[in-house]
Amino acid sequence: MSRSPARSTLEDTSLAVADGRALIACHNVARTFGSGPNAVVAVHGVTCQVLPDTRVALTGPSGSGKSTLLHLMAGLEQPTSGVMSWPALGGHPLGEPGRIGVIFQGPSLLPALDVAENVALPLLLGDTPEGEAAERAQAALDLLAIGDLARSLPEQLSGGQAQRVAVARALAARPSLILADEPTGQLDHQAASLVVDVLLQASAELGAALVVSTHDRLVAERLPNQWTMRDGAMTSGSDRA
Amino acid sequence: MIGIWLGGLLRRRPARLGAAAIGIAIAVALLASLGSFLAHSKATMTDRAVRGVAVDWQVQVQPGTDPAAVDRLVQATAGVQASAAVGFAQTTGLSATTGGSTQATGPGVVLGLPSSYQQLFPTEIRVLTGAGTGVLLAQQTAANLHAAPGDVVNIGRAGQAPVRVTVVGVVDLPQADSLFQKVGAPVGAQRTAPPDNVLLLPQAQWHTTFDALARSRPDLISTQIHVLRSHQLPQDPSAAYTAVTAAAHNLEARSSGGAVVGDNLGAALGAARQDAAYAQVLFLFLGLPGAILAGLLTAIIASAGATRRRAEQALLRARGAAASQLIRLAAVEALIIGVVGAVVGLAVAALVGRLAFGTARFGTSTASASAWAGIAAAIGLAIAGAAVLVPARRDLRQSTVASGRATVGVLRYPSWARYGLDAILLIVAGLVFSATSRNGYQLVLAPEGVPTISVSYWAFAGPALLWIGAGLLAWRLSDLLLGRGRRVIAWVLRPLTKRMSGSVASGMSRQRRPLVRAIVLLALAISFAASTAIFNSTYRQQAEADAQLTNGADVTVTPAPGTTVQPTAAQQLSGVSGVKAVEPIQHRFAYIGTDLQDLYGVRPTSITNATALQNAYFHGGTAAGLMHTLATKPDSILVSAETVKDYQLGVGDLLKLRLIDAVTHQPRMVAFHYVGVVSEFPTAPKDSFFVANAGYVAQQTGSDAVGAFLVDTGGQHSAAVAQRIQHLLGSAATVSSIGTVRKSVGSSLTAVDLAGLTRVELSFALVLAAAAGGLVFALGLSERRRTFAIARALGAKPRHLRGMIFGEAGVLTVGGLVSGAVIGWVLSQMLVKVLTGVFDPPPSVIAVPWLYLGAVLGITVVALAGVSAAATRAARGPAISVLREL
Repeated sequence: MSRSPARSTLEDTSLAVADGRALIACHNVARTFGSGPNAVVAVHGVTCQVLPDTRVALTGPSGSGKSTLLHLMAGLEQPTSGVMSWPALGGHPLGEPGRIGVIFQGPSLLPALDVAENVALPLLLGDTPEGEAAERAQAALDLLAIGDLARSLPEQLSGGQAQRVAVARALAARPSLILADEPTGQLDHQAASLVVDVLLQASAELGAALVVSTHDRLVAERLPNQWTMRDGAMTSGSDRA
Repeated sequence: MIGIWLGGLLRRRPARLGAAAIGIAIAVALLASLGSFLAHSKATMTDRAVRGVAVDWQVQVQPGTDPAAVDRLVQATAGVQASAAVGFAQTTGLSATTGGSTQATGPGVVLGLPSSYQQLFPTEIRVLTGAGTGVLLAQQTAANLHAAPGDVVNIGRAGQAPVRVTVVGVVDLPQADSLFQKVGAPVGAQRTAPPDNVLLLPQAQWHTTFDALARSRPDLISTQIHVLRSHQLPQDPSAAYTAVTAAAHNLEARSSGGAVVGDNLGAALGAARQDAAYAQVLFLFLGLPGAILAGLLTAIIASAGATRRRAEQALLRARGAAASQLIRLAAVEALIIGVVGAVVGLAVAALVGRLAFGTARFGTSTASASAWAGIAAAIGLAIAGAAVLVPARRDLRQSTVASGRATVGVLRYPSWARYGLDAILLIVAGLVFSATSRNGYQLVLAPEGVPTISVSYWAFAGPALLWIGAGLLAWRLSDLLLGRGRRVIAWVLRPLTKRMSGSVASGMSRQRRPLVRAIVLLALAISFAASTAIFNSTYRQQAEADAQLTNGADVTVTPAPGTTVQPTAAQQLSGVSGVKAVEPIQHRFAYIGTDLQDLYGVRPTSITNATALQNAYFHGGTAAGLMHTLATKPDSILVSAETVKDYQLGVGDLLKLRLIDAVTHQPRMVAFHYVGVVSEFPTAPKDSFFVANAGYVAQQTGSDAVGAFLVDTGGQHSAAVAQRIQHLLGSAATVSSIGTVRKSVGSSLTAVDLAGLTRVELSFALVLAAAAGGLVFALGLSERRRTFAIARALGAKPRHLRGMIFGEAGVLTVGGLVSGAVIGWVLSQMLVKVLTGVFDPPPSVIAVPWLYLGAVLGITVVALAGVSAAATRAARGPAISVLREL
């Protein structure tokens, strides 16, 4: 096991970006909310890359910038400074739904759609035919062992079930990259273990990179790499690949 | 806690609070505007009634009572500004020798007037020729005697020698009916017509002439004290009527039987009181639905945030908040919405008043405007309470924390739907309508003379129940379509939402209740706008028809009395610039039995060139059909319904009338055959009359003399054409244009300024339709910002968001407009039928104001499209920031 700060991978990043292998490349990225004396710097000076074989846990205390960095990686936030790029994803990830599977920290299911429809939604947004979308959605639910909840409404689910549906939704589109923001935050130990198994298994089967933000040490240790954030900066990284 | 909550509400939910306040503002503005307008209408009625009276009181001095004593008593009466003693003397007849021939009249009346009379009562006497003071002859008397200023007239006195006087002027007595009334006699015992022969003498000369007669024949002489009262009266006609009649009764009581008051002012105010009742009915009928609609709008706006409020309540309850605390929080929210809405609403009402009527108070008094403002604001606060506080209280009692946090929930049919209340209401509405139609219910009764109101509020239940029942039915059908018809909706939306159509339809279906409420509200608003506009338009159509009936045509030319004009004179009129067609119409008098009725001889094939005949004027055939009968069977005659009933006539019956023969000047029998009933005809009076073929009448009577020429100007520049004709004919004819008649036409019911009332109504109907569509939809979308943000975060492109939002807008637009159009159409038919008595003449077809309805449609569609476009643009923004905020 060798450890090196994420900042030290700049040269590798340049190489990966150059040959188009990097799914995500962050170069000196910062994100500040607000302005003036009330400005909050959520992320600053982050340089990193996510390659197709990256399996990394993003750890750090609450408020350290993990979620913001994940949102930047998903293209849901614009950096205040620095450069974000997605060389292997053909440009901005929002331009092609399903290439990045995002699992949000809070409730993110559409209340008016049932579980199967929620899971199929990213597929339909990506113009997958309805029949195929439904089949893939059901397969993803079965993978998470919640196939029997397909016709339930989100408000009928427990927090843990809802989170597993969100995971199924992220996987159903067979993404190249899975970004999971505290995916086990509302789950008991057993369910959390199942979700991590599924994420790792899906990542392996799909050949998808996996970035999991978590403050659960047990979850973090199940991933081969760990990047640590503190006060918006990436303070350390590990690479066991 | 309340402070923190309040701050949070204002910072985080300004849109929802603002929208709910707008709903309240619309309700308050509508009520304040209509209320002030009603008060103004009433004040106008009082003012108009007062101005129309020439002599406020005619106090009849009873025989044996000293007129001077009564005059002193009158002058001591509160509110009396001036009085004048008027002598009434019966003459055996008047005669005059002019141009070598002597003309004599039958019995008449000679009035003795003080010199100040015309100054005190300027509208009682109108000088036509000669001087205004001295010996004056009434116009008709002057015509009978062929007398003019300078001629000598002999006044016959019972048992005494005639007295010779020299006429100095000829006058018109516009208020002759009231001037010559039998004071104190009941309505049925009044004269049928004022005396034909009237001479006016200066008071001193009258005394010289009749004092001796008064001693020998006191039954032929009487005195009245004519009174001018202060017109500082209460604005409300009812209150003014009460004040004036009470004062009259008081005077009579104080005179101890020495005086009887002919209360002309009270009679006029009594009629105005009826108009006020009518205005109140219209206010109720036209204003109430608008206010209810605004209340519903507020409730639905407030309910748009109900899911969130329930979730917030559940959170607070889970954190230990007591029910009383939660009620207080809801009360604070209701108070804020109510107060802001009331303030804005009153400001809007003032603005509407300024724009529509030139004054913020709608021309009424400050006290009245303030009272209405207070009432409207109180109702606004009540609506706010009902829309926010009541649901919050209900949620607290009925829902658990878990169900409170639910956003979709199990959709159950409300109780009214389970029991079929919509069907029940519609059936009852139909039954009520059928019953009132069968009974021939008339809102306005005008059998003879002054129209009176006969309000049956039960009859109004028909349209009211129809409106409510149809609204509930629209709810049921929309709910059914969005619930069970999910696949249909998906199919319809497919061109817009492509592969997302199933998901969009599912989402719409599961969260359909807000959408259904929006559809129903839009439908009710559209139906309100449509029915009000159609009612208004039909009223105007019939008012125009009334004006044309009264005037006869765009311009009517009536030859001077005593002159004989041939139909060929029409050619002279045809040459006047602006004249499109001229039609002569005969006017004769015909006896049927002992009744004397007007008879109009028309050219049936060409009468409609110059005037419009509606089918509603006739019974027993259409206008065209009956004119064809008159043309092909010249001895045909159209008769009033009353005559048909009185004489038990059947179609085809022989009818023998006595008409004056032009050669012998004696009545001669003319045979006609009854072919149909005529209830209205241009220039004809409202009571009984005949319509016959002019050629046949001329042949039978030996004269084709014209009673009037009806002139068609194509509806353009009638006043200018009338002026040109008057200039051409000089004083040989009276020329009236429809424009002049329009202003003064009809019954006293036109005192209600329906145009002003509906102007306010129609403006608010437009706002309500736009708000019902745009505002409610906008709030519904606002409450689902999180949904759109999640979809965006999952990769939804602008076209997806556009499809979702515009798809829903399309369902709302089509559902609301179609339902609204159907309800509006049915409601209009029923409304016009129930209020038939208001129309004079009754309409045969309703008038549809397509331009206004097009504007309502356009504004609604634009509002919804605008909201959809704005929502789509907003949904394209950064998803995470929205998710973070919500």
